[in-house]
Amino acid sequence: MPRNKVAWRRLVFVVLIIASLALLTVSFRETDSGPVHAIQQAGVSMLSPLQTWGARAAKPFQDGYTWIRTLWSAHEEAERLAAELQQLQGEAAKLREQAEENERLRGLLEFQDKGTFPEGTEFVAARVIGKSPTRWEAWIEIDKGTADGIQIDQAVVGATPSASASLSGKGLVGKVVSVYPHMARVQLITDAESSVAAKIQGPRAEGIIVGSVSGQLTMDYVDRDILVDPKRIIVTSGYGGVYPPAIPIGIVANVGEEDVSAYKEIEVQGFVDFRVLEEVMVLIVPAAANGDSTATTFSPTTSTSSPASTGSTTSTTSTNSTTTTTLTSTRQ
Amino acid sequence: MRRRELAWVGKAMLLLLIAVVLQTMVVSRVSVLGVTADLLLILTVIVGLGRGSLEGAIFGFCVGIVHDTIFFQTLGVHALIFVLVGYFVGIFLARFGTVNLWAVFIITGASSFAAQLVFGLFQYAIGPRAEFFTVVGAQMIPEAVFDALIAVPICALLMRMRVISIPGSEQTAAAKGGE
Repeated sequence: MPRNKVAWRRLVFVVLIIASLALLTVSFRETDSGPVHAIQQAGVSMLSPLQTWGARAAKPFQDGYTWIRTLWSAHEEAERLAAELQQLQGEAAKLREQAEENERLRGLLEFQDKGTFPEGTEFVAARVIGKSPTRWEAWIEIDKGTADGIQIDQAVVGATPSASASLSGKGLVGKVVSVYPHMARVQLITDAESSVAAKIQGPRAEGIIVGSVSGQLTMDYVDRDILVDPKRIIVTSGYGGVYPPAIPIGIVANVGEEDVSAYKEIEVQGFVDFRVLEEVMVLIVPAAANGDSTATTFSPTTSTSSPASTGSTTSTTSTNSTTTTTLTSTRQ
Repeated sequence: MRRRELAWVGKAMLLLLIAVVLQTMVVSRVSVLGVTADLLLILTVIVGLGRGSLEGAIFGFCVGIVHDTIFFQTLGVHALIFVLVGYFVGIFLARFGTVNLWAVFIITGASSFAAQLVFGLFQYAIGPRAEFFTVVGAQMIPEAVFDALIAVPICALLMRMRVISIPGSEQTAAAKGGE
C-alpha cells in the first residue's frame, strides 16, 4: 500500500511537470491573441484595480518613508545640491551662449522652432501602480491605458520627486510595451532589452544607450575618434520613430575605450531615479512628428522585447525589429 | 477523512487568495536592497513542509500559474519552478522527519535561491544576458535572505492559527504522509 502511495505521488509530480512544460510551450508558440494570453490579460485586468488601491493605500507610508530618508540625508543633499548649483550656473551661462548661437543658426538654416518635444505633442499624466519584481526585467505599470489614448511604443518621460527647476531628475523613462483598457506596462530604459538612439550634446556624437540587468546605462557605438568629455548631456536623437528627439536622458559619467573596439563605451548617469518614480507622462506625438525621424536611415532606437519576458502584447514595427536584429549581429 | 481533505483545499485556496492580495498590494511595494519578497514561493515552501511532497507540488503548480498571470510572465515558468520547490521540500521533510523554525529559514532561503537560479537560467535562455555573479550578488542572495527572514514569522503565524502544522520532534514525517 505505501508503495502505491509513493507511485501515485510520483505520477502526480510527473503529470504536473508535463502540464507546466505544456503551458510553457503553448505560451511560447501561440500568437498574442491566443487563448493562454487572453486568460493572462483577463487576470491582469482583474488585478489592476487591486494594484491601484494598493498604490493609493501605500502612498502615505511611502511619503513618510521618503520624508524620513530625506531628513536623514538632508545635510549631504544640501552639499550635493550646492555643488550641482555651481556646476549648473556654469552650464546655464554656456547654455545662454549656445541659445543665442542657436537662434542665429536657426534663422540661417530655417529650422522650425520647437521645444523639447515635437510640436503638437499631447501629454498624459499617469500614476505608477506597479514595478517589476526582479532585476531581470525593468518595467513599471501605470494607471492609464487605451481608454486614455495610450498605445504601444509611445515614449514615456518622468520626473523624480527630488527634481528641481534644472534638468536634474527629469528625463526619458522608457516606452509603452503593452497596454490594457485602464493600465499599461512601460519598459524602462534600464531594461536589459531596451535600446535608445541618443546624441551627446556638444560633440553631437551618436550612439545607442542600452540598459542592463544591474540597472547601469551604457552608451555604445560611439565613434572612438570623437572626443567626449564627462558631464556632457545626452538626449534622444529621434531616430527609429519611437522616441521623439531632444528628450534628456542623462549625462556622460565615464568614457571607456578598448584598443580592439572601434567604438567608445560610455557610462551614462540617467537623469531619472527609477527607484522612486511615482508619476510619469506618456507622450502622444502626432504621426507627422514621428514621420520625420523615421525617414532617416540611421539604425535603430527602439528596443524589441521578447514576448516571453514582457508579455506577448509587446509589439514593435517591423522596421524596428529588423534594424535591431542587424545591430545585435554587429555587436556580436 | 474526505471532509478533512476538502477543508484543507478550502484553506489552501483562501491562503492563496490572501497571498495574492498581500503580494500585489503590500509586499511588492516593500523593497529591501532593491529586492522584494516572494510571498507565493514562501507559501509553497511552507505547504511543502506542512503537507508533504504531493500537496506541495499541487499547491506549487496552482501558485505558479497565479504568479505567471499576475506578473504577466510566460505561463508555466513559475508553475514548473514551484512544482519542483513544493515537491522537493516535501521530499526533504520525509527524509529528515522534523523541522524547526531555523530549518524553515534555511529551507526557504535555499529554495528561493534555487528557484531564482532556475528562473535566471530560463531568462538567460530567452533573452536578457547578465554577468552571473552580478545577478547572484544583486538579486539572488538578497532575495533568498529576505524570503527566508519573512518565511519564519509567516510560518509561525500559520502554525499558531492552526492553518498548517509542521512536524515537530515528536511527529515523524511518515505520520504526515511524506514520501
